[in-house]
Amino acid sequence: MPKESADVVVIGGGVSGLSSAFFLAKAGKDVVVVEKGTVGSEASGRNGGMISERTDEPALIPLAVESLKLWATLDDELGYPTEFIHQGRIQIAVSEEEMGDLYAERDEALRQAISVELLDPSQIQDLIPGISERTLGGLFFANGGHANPQRSVQAFAWAFQDSGGRLYQNTAVTGFEVLNDKITSVETTAGRIATEFVVAAAGPQTALLADMVSVQVPVAPARVEILATAPVPPMFDIALVGNGLYGRQAARGNLLFGGGAHEWTDVDLTAEPNKPNTPLIRNIARRLAEMLPGVADVPVLRSWAGIVEQAPDYMPIIDVAKSPGNYVVVTASAHGFGISPATGKVVSELVLCGESSIDISGLGLDRFADIAPDWREELGWVPAP
Amino acid sequence: MEATPLVVVGAGVSGTAAAIEAARVGVQVTLVDENPVPTSLMGLEIPQFFGRRFTDTLSNEVLTTQESARHKESLAEAEAAGVDIQLGTCVWGAFRNSENSRVLNGPQIGLSDYQRSWMMKYERLIVATGARDLSIGFGGWELPGVMGANGAHSLMNRYDALSSKRIVVLGSGNLGLNTAMLALDSGKDVTAVVDVSPAVQGDPALAMVLNDRGAELYTSHTVCAMNGGDGELNSVNLVAIDDNSQPIAGTEKIITADTVCLAIGLVPNIELISLLGCELAFESDRGGHVPNHDDWMRTSVENVFVAGDVAGFHDAMILRPEIARDQGRLAGIAAAASLGAIDDAEANARRSEIQINDETTSPIPEHNIWENWLKATGNTGGLDVLACPCEEVTRADVLDLQPPRYLGWESEPMSRRNLQTQLKDNPVNPNQIKRLTRAGTGVCQGRRCREQVAMLLSEASDIDISEVPLMTYRAPVRPLPLNVMWPDDEPQQVRDEWPKWFSPTSRVLG
Repeated sequence: MPKESADVVVIGGGVSGLSSAFFLAKAGKDVVVVEKGTVGSEASGRNGGMISERTDEPALIPLAVESLKLWATLDDELGYPTEFIHQGRIQIAVSEEEMGDLYAERDEALRQAISVELLDPSQIQDLIPGISERTLGGLFFANGGHANPQRSVQAFAWAFQDSGGRLYQNTAVTGFEVLNDKITSVETTAGRIATEFVVAAAGPQTALLADMVSVQVPVAPARVEILATAPVPPMFDIALVGNGLYGRQAARGNLLFGGGAHEWTDVDLTAEPNKPNTPLIRNIARRLAEMLPGVADVPVLRSWAGIVEQAPDYMPIIDVAKSPGNYVVVTASAHGFGISPATGKVVSELVLCGESSIDISGLGLDRFADIAPDWREELGWVPAP
Repeated sequence: MEATPLVVVGAGVSGTAAAIEAARVGVQVTLVDENPVPTSLMGLEIPQFFGRRFTDTLSNEVLTTQESARHKESLAEAEAAGVDIQLGTCVWGAFRNSENSRVLNGPQIGLSDYQRSWMMKYERLIVATGARDLSIGFGGWELPGVMGANGAHSLMNRYDALSSKRIVVLGSGNLGLNTAMLALDSGKDVTAVVDVSPAVQGDPALAMVLNDRGAELYTSHTVCAMNGGDGELNSVNLVAIDDNSQPIAGTEKIITADTVCLAIGLVPNIELISLLGCELAFESDRGGHVPNHDDWMRTSVENVFVAGDVAGFHDAMILRPEIARDQGRLAGIAAAASLGAIDDAEANARRSEIQINDETTSPIPEHNIWENWLKATGNTGGLDVLACPCEEVTRADVLDLQPPRYLGWESEPMSRRNLQTQLKDNPVNPNQIKRLTRAGTGVCQGRRCREQVAMLLSEASDIDISEVPLMTYRAPVRPLPLNVMWPDDEPQQVRDEWPKWFSPTSRVLG
């Protein structure tokens, strides 16, 4: 790559970065996306594909509401299929304690004017035939659904290119040039790119990148696991959360479910992180079979793991750094896929006019202004020795 | 969970030899073998390509008896040496601590007897998992009755349950010739042995015997399978090909057959090796991606050894089983020595009795022959030939990179995208192709499509097959039902602490 320039350099070819790049390119900006591997090869392409309004995370609601509006027409907007299904999301309870959580979430939804319905076991049977008889109740979010992460990330990438964007895969960022509190260029393994704005949407690597420009982004990487069964005839088309799992039935019929335990790790700025599965997939299999006993004899075909990043409050960070003032931080704390269309819209607005039309007031860097440098150790969010 | 000093996976020639060698010097050895496998797995083409040509009478009870009987000699020897033999037990996963995965309390494998599963820790592991059938599709190859050589061998030798009557064998290497001979000996008709190559590839003497016994040898020919109208294979259309693998008009010949047996090549079963992170190298004349190993059969991963076909298969090994056996013996000695059961001097003394001549005899890289098959079957069957029969992905679907048909998606932007446009952005990546086209995501876990998808990508991207990355193998490497794979002994503490979202793995796996 010869010396290049772009209005905006987006770091990270995951769903948040590519959505941001797509909206910016569509608005006429000259955008380069730099991705250390292949688009969607990390958490963005290997997550559960859940999309929903989350009343347990009120600060996310404005983004979630806007995202669902965008998801509804996204396939046509992008020109490529995402497998988005808009049939809602249900969270089921299998214990009295979980029922208590559902009541609390229902009350929060009412305060937030979100459409939810508390369902009894027979109503849940209608939605999800064969759901466990242990099910005590469920909270149904009508405005929710799911999509295929891999296909969605690729759709954003292709649509970004179709809008004139340049996508550099297998290209890692190695440094920044900063002048008068502004980043003037991004140094990559393929050369230097002069730019007006940087959007850092690099998932677990976001903290390492921010270190290079003296911005503290407190996120810790963690490895999580998920599995897929053989295809089964259509059973349910809503996103399902329960029995310690989250997941969906894919368009092809496979049941994809993950959840539960995670393992804190560290990542490298340029190398693809190792992400093996562990015998934990047996426990995931058990929970899935318990929740859907009718498919307990369906074979598991594969499992995989992903590395996600988490902020101390389990919430995304979407903000422009104070200094350098042209550095936008986007990190999602494992909420990124569902809210990605709105994330892209917000980031494009932040770059284009400095403020977002969607309320992101709870997602700023300022909430960590006083965080201790060793916050990971304090929380115990560090890799096992 | 106590660690077993030595686990040997696979009770074939090499695995059994390894187990005997180690047990004789006092090592406590557990030898596991997935056979007999239940017919439910056979129907998914696991672990070999059975082509649904096993008899209805096959039942698991019968299998166990027959299995023991068939292997009486070598297994009896192992038993006498004190080996703990567990048949009907597959290994579906292998796990060890590595970067970003540190909470396991030791390296371990996941086993299952198809009723339940369990974990077993090992101090040393010898992987002797053999090889599986190479599939190269042709017109009609999705029909029941198209199968693989190892599938046929298994049904004839192990189960005595091959339902085929008239067989056409594809491939004239020793694998094909040996398969044809075995079929004749089992009372089957072998009507033809076909090869795209201009000359018979295997032992000429063997070929002559076959010919005398009525099997016609068709070189410079390729095939299409014909549907008898009842969804079953009833005949095979043979056609001669020219130097460019193009069919020659007017040479078509229809041969009655209920079975086509793919005996073109075998692919080392490296799933467990790959899950463990052992270094792999691409060696065309040994079946493709194979584990790096030293002359004691040690892989790059501590305490993991390989032996037999999984370490690299070549056609000469068909006629010389002593290669696999001697590799097994070496691995067994090496594992015993590393456990301290014998000292280095004794290990070397035992080694001196073993002379392995493992030179491959093939004058041309194996993949050239495979690619010739791919080309010839494409020229006759067209791009509608399935690359992935489970997911019904055609060769055209792979090259066009189109989303699966069940999505019913069409758009102008999508029609402008294909493999060639993708290659401008990124080096060829079978995992990405898999996720977009679904080739490789089916119930046979990619066993029938990996190699041909890799070859299609190699050809389309004009890079050598050795440069095409390996489509990732993932646990479970045998498709086990949820209620078999699950832990039936999950402690209450795990159940109580199973996190809703984000609490430590270490508390669950302990």
